[in-house]
Amino acid sequence: MPIRAETRNGVCHLAIEGEMTIYTAAELKNEITPHLSEPQIEINLSGVSEMDSSGLQLLILAKRETQRDERVLHLTGHSQAVLDVLDICNMAAYFGDPLIISSHA
Amino acid sequence: MSINLDQALQTFIAEARELLEDMENSLLQLESDPENAEIIGAIFRAAHTIKGSAGLFGLDQVVGYTHIVENVLDRVRDGSIPIEGNLVALLLESRDHMAELVSVVADQGGELDDAALKRDKALRARLQAYQGVQTGHAAAVIEPEIEASGGDVEGTDSWHLSLRFDREILKNGMDPISFFRYLGTMGEIVSIVTLPDAMPPASEMDPELCYLGFEVNFRSDADKNTIAGVFDFVRENSSIRILPPHSKVAEYIELIRSLPEDEKRLGDILVTSGALTRQELEEGLDAQKHPDADGASPPLGEILVEQCSVEQEVVQAALEKQSQARESKSKENRYVRVHADKLDELINLVGELVIAGAGANLLAQRANDSSLQEATSTMSRLVEEIRDGALKLRMVPIGDTFSRFQRVVRDVSKELGKDIDLLISGAETELDKTVVEKIGDPLMHLVRNAMDHGIESAEKRLAAGKLAKGTLKLNAYHDSGSIAIEISDDGGGLNRDRILQKGLERGLVQPNQVLTDHEIYNLIFEAGFSTAEAVTNLSGRGVGMDVVKRNIVALRGSVELDSQTGQGTTVRIRLPLTLAIIDGFLVSVDKSGYVVPLDMVIECVELTESERQGMKERSYLNLRGEVLPLVPLRTHFEVEGSHSRRENVVVVQYAGQKAGLVVDELQGEFQTVIKPLGKLFSNLRGISGSTILGTGEVALILDVPSLVQQAANAEQKVASAG
Amino acid sequence: MAKTILVVDDSASLRQVVSIALKGAGYDVIEACDGKDALSKLNGTKIHLIISDVNMPNMDGITFVKEAKKLANYKFTPIIMLTTESQEGKKAEGQAAGAKAWVVKPFQPAQMLAAVSKLIMP
Repeated sequence: MPIRAETRNGVCHLAIEGEMTIYTAAELKNEITPHLSEPQIEINLSGVSEMDSSGLQLLILAKRETQRDERVLHLTGHSQAVLDVLDICNMAAYFGDPLIISSHA
Repeated sequence: MSINLDQALQTFIAEARELLEDMENSLLQLESDPENAEIIGAIFRAAHTIKGSAGLFGLDQVVGYTHIVENVLDRVRDGSIPIEGNLVALLLESRDHMAELVSVVADQGGELDDAALKRDKALRARLQAYQGVQTGHAAAVIEPEIEASGGDVEGTDSWHLSLRFDREILKNGMDPISFFRYLGTMGEIVSIVTLPDAMPPASEMDPELCYLGFEVNFRSDADKNTIAGVFDFVRENSSIRILPPHSKVAEYIELIRSLPEDEKRLGDILVTSGALTRQELEEGLDAQKHPDADGASPPLGEILVEQCSVEQEVVQAALEKQSQARESKSKENRYVRVHADKLDELINLVGELVIAGAGANLLAQRANDSSLQEATSTMSRLVEEIRDGALKLRMVPIGDTFSRFQRVVRDVSKELGKDIDLLISGAETELDKTVVEKIGDPLMHLVRNAMDHGIESAEKRLAAGKLAKGTLKLNAYHDSGSIAIEISDDGGGLNRDRILQKGLERGLVQPNQVLTDHEIYNLIFEAGFSTAEAVTNLSGRGVGMDVVKRNIVALRGSVELDSQTGQGTTVRIRLPLTLAIIDGFLVSVDKSGYVVPLDMVIECVELTESERQGMKERSYLNLRGEVLPLVPLRTHFEVEGSHSRRENVVVVQYAGQKAGLVVDELQGEFQTVIKPLGKLFSNLRGISGSTILGTGEVALILDVPSLVQQAANAEQKVASAG
Repeated sequence: MAKTILVVDDSASLRQVVSIALKGAGYDVIEACDGKDALSKLNGTKIHLIISDVNMPNMDGITFVKEAKKLANYKFTPIIMLTTESQEGKKAEGQAAGAKAWVVKPFQPAQMLAAVSKLIMP
């Protein structure tokens, strides 16, 4: 349910919709993990309505798994919920993706 | 001010004065022992306690000034500034200023006068030089040290939170990010470092567990408990370390030091100050219950520092507080503060009791009722014990009076440009408080006199083959019912010939008079005698040795002086131990009763008829081959009436001299309550007071010192005439 | 989107006061008068936090917490138990059941708000 996946030009595009919270963590992990072996991954977070530590943890996990064998993971389209968490936990630099800071933040 | 608060203020004043005295003594000790951490600690504590208590009474001026002194002392204590002469001098002056502040502001409730304000300002400026914290250079020196122990990595003044949560918290609906949001409402999150290192590889990672660790820098005015409270619900199985900002560490230490001095356990002190949360304490105590490999339980303080709950400095301050509280508690246990007036009242009452008891005794004897006599004699014994006990309450060691002279000697020797050491012995010798209070001035004069005129300049001393450094000694000891206080110097001694010459000039000595050296030396106690060639600032203060003598005599004491040319001078003061009640020996001449202080009585001899005849020609007695000058009281006091059939001699001794008092009857021992004679009788020689007998009759108390002196003089006159 | 809090207590006045305070702070509030009533409110509605009393008729708080934890939609919902000083045992029981947060009665509205906002912001 929360993940849409398609591969274009050798890049695996994932889009997460809805909550990235403890309620969805187990399911999300199960859905994301199979894609983590792709050489290039992009996760679109524009549809994330809510995020907590478990959601952040999953993103960190994904980043670490790809980084380990020097593959690429990009996070794009950060929703406000994601931006808030990255900001609070000071993790924007860790992911290294360009962020669009909305005037709301 | 309420009565209670006012009483508390009085206690503060007394306490502050005591502390200031301690502080002075310690400062003086510090001069010769500048490295002694214990002394430095004692000085610091004195200032600190005064500041803390003064704060409670809103004595801002005292607090303000003492705070600065305390800061400087703190820096001395941590070794940032060395002890040297100028600093000690400044601290001594500061101490004096604090004493003035306590007197003026606390005691009299007044304001400092202009001169004092000026001094205040000048002293503050001088202390400022030692404070140094504000200056850039000193700050640079201190900074790294704090950084090393504080949790603040970035050097900003913020809290540091080190958080490793229980893995399960997410499942309980607890989200670290929520806590950070909440923290944000209490202050400013300066930075957060999120640590994912604990997260296992993807295959083993349980997405519902929390693997993230956080290091948070947090700026807030909230206290440690409030901050720790954010994590109350996740405390279980989590590791939550909260390190205070530097400024807080100082604040905790400050707070700990200003806690009221109840005896508390270390943990409680830390919790009270806010440096430690209750939970952290419990964790620490738990850890203490599990001994380490050696089987020894480490001290709580160490555990707390190790588990990063609290800083080393804070534990140190708490430990100091603890020992300070114990000290003061043990002191409190040993002493009860009683107003001196109450003691005087008690002693007066005991005096009346003694007289009433004597009356009852007398009646019992007259009634010839043996059981009544037995009862009254038991009572007399008890009354005697009560009397001794009551008098002992008022006995204080002379040491406090002596140690005050450390400062005097130090200051005066600087003023004179002489190097003089003060040696004190017999400080534990006790005497009546009323006597102690009155002896200060005469002692002061004698000490100054000895330093000014007694001890020579360093050049003169070296030329005479002596050490350049002079020595002044204060000594006290008990001697036959009186206390002797000696002030001796190792100076040049008195110039016998010059004193004699001056005595002749002043008409104190007749040209044909033959005087012993001792008598010549003691001429300086005569009115208007001064040997100083240059009247210096010191002894030229208007009080001569004659005034010293008069003061001492007024206390029923005596003063004498010994001197050896080139070796030094010793002034010896003798004082009665108490001014209130003595054990007397009652004698009578005709119908009049006289009391001789029992301490001075050596023996009693009945005069044989032949001796009585001989007495008409000479006024001395051959007592086992010794010449004993006699004082016939009947003649002395011009008692009328016929001579009795028998006469007795009471042999008395004072200051090494003996004399025999010739009386009619010996009545025996008698507890004597001394009633001072009115001014009218102040010129009476040979009488020091009066007392009331059990019969209600008045008996005079003999002034043995003056009688002995008189007898000795008379004997010498006879001797020199013959 | 305001967060929703379920307040479970048999005292209407208490629910009222808590409700006013929470709403004032920006939360949405659903009330229930006992465990049974509360369970019936856990019908799929998104609830971010539950505040529950312990002693209640019909179904006590402990049982309610245990039941709530069984529901997939609510098993991770944070629960604040309302305990009293004399109920240390109940507090432990509640924690074991999964209610890890607590507020001790009697409390001021501000204390309740502080406890709530540690867990969720409005």
